[in-house]
Amino acid sequence: MNETRFQIITPKYLEHYQDRADEIAVNSWHEFMLHDPIANENWHDLFDRFEEYQFAMLDTETNRMAAMGNSVPFFLDQPLDELPEGGWDWVFLKAIDDHKNGVTPNIQSAIQIAIHPDYQSQGLSAKMVKAMRAIAESKGFKNLVAPVRPSQKSKYPLISIDDYIKWTNDEGLPFDAWLRVHARAGAKIVKPCHEAMTIRGSRAEWEEWTELKFPQSGEYVIPGALNPIEMHVEQDKGVYIEPNVWMVHTL
Amino acid sequence: MTSAQFRILDPVELNLHRDEIIQLARESWPEFMWHDTVAEENWHEFFDRFGDYQSVLLDVRTNQVVALGHSLPFRWDRPLPELPEEGWDWVIQQAVQDDKSGAERNILAAVFVGVREEYKKSGLSRTILLSFQPTARTHRFENLVIPVRPNEKLNYPLTSMDDYINWKNENGLPFDLWLRIQHRAGGRVIKVCHKSKTVRGTRAEWEEWTGMKFPQSGEYIIPDALNPMEINVERDEGVYIEPNVWMQHSIA
Repeated sequence: MNETRFQIITPKYLEHYQDRADEIAVNSWHEFMLHDPIANENWHDLFDRFEEYQFAMLDTETNRMAAMGNSVPFFLDQPLDELPEGGWDWVFLKAIDDHKNGVTPNIQSAIQIAIHPDYQSQGLSAKMVKAMRAIAESKGFKNLVAPVRPSQKSKYPLISIDDYIKWTNDEGLPFDAWLRVHARAGAKIVKPCHEAMTIRGSRAEWEEWTELKFPQSGEYVIPGALNPIEMHVEQDKGVYIEPNVWMVHTL
Repeated sequence: MTSAQFRILDPVELNLHRDEIIQLARESWPEFMWHDTVAEENWHEFFDRFGDYQSVLLDVRTNQVVALGHSLPFRWDRPLPELPEEGWDWVIQQAVQDDKSGAERNILAAVFVGVREEYKKSGLSRTILLSFQPTARTHRFENLVIPVRPNEKLNYPLTSMDDYINWKNENGLPFDLWLRIQHRAGGRVIKVCHKSKTVRGTRAEWEEWTGMKFPQSGEYIIPDALNPMEINVERDEGVYIEPNVWMQHSIA
């Protein structure tokens, strides 16, 4: 691979940046993941409040966006091993609150790294993690934290996240590819955040998002989810609570 | 599609097309299903022992096998609701044993229906299902029973089979496509057979069959299985027990 082919760019650098980023999101996430209300209500804040923490990777040969990265600064006043169970949803809201209140941030959190399906398995994820670390370093933060989504856990929905994060490959690195990318870049696993993202919908919505049917109450395995979802027919409600893993990059 | 496009092979032709027929069957089931020891040890019996009971459909334009149904006769003197929990595995062993002992057979069991990928949605699974009728009639059997594999349950591995078979679509017909085809062809549910097929293997074998890893003991969802399977790391063993549904078709 030509080393100069892929360049890290900022939102201002590229026309229609958000449309192109949306295209990656739609192509790399299962539909239900696009229905987390905290993400949907606050996504614009990433660009309105924290533009310097957003970036993408441009394929200069084709002028296509190959990957995107989102992160936020926030103020953490507890030890790293007390990072909350609310993971992703929590840190997103905390960053916005801190910004509204004029609180000076002391740490950065990853929100997302997504690689366009056409560009996966080419080592771009490691470059994206490195670029995110570089932002944190430029801001003078000592740590970059990440509520990491171990995406291969979707094949192991009946295994607890606490067990899953202990699985290792032949080299002694994490079994999960995304956990491994962060570990290779120097990050350590802190602990799981069991309620990193909560997605609720009516039965009809879940049927539309997953193309499955949910005729009775109970747990269901759905494609792309890290845990089963719970369907309550009487309340016309389905709930998915996604576990992630807090990882810390010490800079 | 015209009826002249397809014809059923006779027992001599069956053996001429044997490799092609086995290949088509293999493509219809996930790899792990072929490691059910009853299937492994007895598949050849469809050709060697029960040649008169096989429905293999040839596309006469391409001379290609496009759909197939395997059935075999056995003896059953008790009420149908007493058919065993071990459904598929049991009926194949029973049929072989009855044939060896020369027992007088009085009922037909269909144990496999497969359709070539390019021919799916052509109604050929129904054609195969109906082809068991003349087979049973020739032998003066009054009933055809089938330990049915409701294929779409693979999307619902956490739902019990007992619940799943009661699911209906908007028209009040069975939710599952294959159960629905059987229903429309006159089939009626007798009961669930919870241990219809049993597949055992070492951890390494299961990893090879599924392309997954099993680092710890516990239940796992594996692609194309109707229920979770269970891994026991200490015993180096994985077990999958497949539930099926006993269905009955009257012979017209």
